[in-house]
Amino acid sequence: MRSAQPISGVGLGLRGPHLEAAAQANPGVPFWEIAPENVLGDGGREAAMTRAILARDPVLSHGLSLSVGGFDPFDPGYLEPLAAFLLDAGSPWHSEHLCFTSVDGASTHELLPMPFTRASVRHTVARVRELKGRLPVPFLLENVTYYSELGDKEMEESAFVAEVLEGADAGWLLDINNVYVNSLNFGFDPYRWFEGMPLSRVAQIHVAGHTTMGDLVVDTHGAPVVDPVIGLMRWVLPRIGRPVPVLLERDNEIPELPVLLAERAALQEAYDRALAAHA
Amino acid sequence: MPDRVRELQRALADLALAPDAAAFEADPAAFAGARGLPGPDQAAFRRCRPRLLSYREFVREDIWEPVELYLPITLALLERAGALEEARSGFLASRLLASPYYRDIAPTFLGWLAATGWGLERWPFLVQLAHAELVPELVEHAPDTPPRAGLHPEPAPGDRIVPAPPTQVLAYDWRVLEATPEAPGPPPGPCHLLAFRDAEGFVRWRELTPATAAVLVRAQQEPIGRAAAALGLGDPGAVLALLAALRAAGALEGFQAG
Repeated sequence: MRSAQPISGVGLGLRGPHLEAAAQANPGVPFWEIAPENVLGDGGREAAMTRAILARDPVLSHGLSLSVGGFDPFDPGYLEPLAAFLLDAGSPWHSEHLCFTSVDGASTHELLPMPFTRASVRHTVARVRELKGRLPVPFLLENVTYYSELGDKEMEESAFVAEVLEGADAGWLLDINNVYVNSLNFGFDPYRWFEGMPLSRVAQIHVAGHTTMGDLVVDTHGAPVVDPVIGLMRWVLPRIGRPVPVLLERDNEIPELPVLLAERAALQEAYDRALAAHA
Repeated sequence: MPDRVRELQRALADLALAPDAAAFEADPAAFAGARGLPGPDQAAFRRCRPRLLSYREFVREDIWEPVELYLPITLALLERAGALEEARSGFLASRLLASPYYRDIAPTFLGWLAATGWGLERWPFLVQLAHAELVPELVEHAPDTPPRAGLHPEPAPGDRIVPAPPTQVLAYDWRVLEATPEAPGPPPGPCHLLAFRDAEGFVRWRELTPATAAVLVRAQQEPIGRAAAALGLGDPGAVLALLAALRAAGALEGFQAG
């Protein structure tokens, strides 16, 4: 039976290779994050296991394909079952990426970067406000990894993120690995990136591993979380001042569950220490 | 320009999905200018050339990954013939993929093959091979539906059959089950298959005789006994026993009078 307590601690993404073990018993994970695109309209064995886990454990919903910053109309054929899923799963919010994924009806299945312009802020704010009115739970936006600016920028990425969050009055899914990866690719201080950012809006955090490919660092979610990202997490948690849930993302090169659980436990220890020092 | 944000997004999609990136690689500023973007954006495209190109790679890898995962034999065939990139580029450039669901990507590629007829002159079995490769995934993840009322477990000659919702009765002109990554071209010859989910949700295959396949199709619309007789199956008892076994295995949901 799910608890009505606020979700906190370090959770894991619910992924295919671990479904069977997770369905048998919760292996000490305080919550699971799930992509509704992997569940909606799905049937069969894996779907049944997923439903059993969602009925038992706390869950956070994190989408991949709404194309929040895009121009294609939101598809009611997706939004309506998504709304039903959110209520059924008891997710306290739904999060999505601050990016676009489709253009003129063609889906790219990639998180593409928004132009950092005032017009882009206005457009995205309007889109998020529309989404907020069509979903039954609060809406969070995640800052993404970007590998290139798209067109001539009128502001820094941090200002773009902050202005969209404030303008849309949206919650923030703070992806710390994305901040760190961007700092490597664009040569800035990740700690200074947080200056002026609306930390009061943070409702959830993501941490993940990344991969260096040539001269680019790519947010692959295919490696363990590195110490600098854990350091950033420990630095930012007291500044947020609340035990917001942290999700350990792992989508590629997925290790055996005990390996992932050990990494989760180490992150949980860092999380507890960071918050205890603040208390 | 009417909407610079939209045109910037369109330019990046063009770069990612076009069959080749030659125009962008030759002159990124001209590429942007040809899409109506003003001078500062053209300069940004020139400045960000390698990084923008990385998005082309990411999009193409993301979309192609499930095609590789679910159609390994079809892709082995195309790779051997040196036609893999042509197929990938044609599919991506078609921009047919609209679904937000990862599971829809490989079926959309199959739809592109069928709709365009790409490769069919050279490999007349191509669509059927790709379809057969996708069937296990489609059956395994077919949506669950509530049990239908009014069905009974044992068939009678006057009943019609009601397949379980994930079940597919398939007829191919090629022996698709005999194709392998090492020998991806199936030999010609009829192939009737039944694909279904068993009680644990695992996908099962059975090869059917043409007559059994025909009964499974016809007896959904008319009584089992009449369908069997029309197909010249002399022993209705054997047909009923087979159908009862298929229900027990999970292929049929049950039987309905009339």
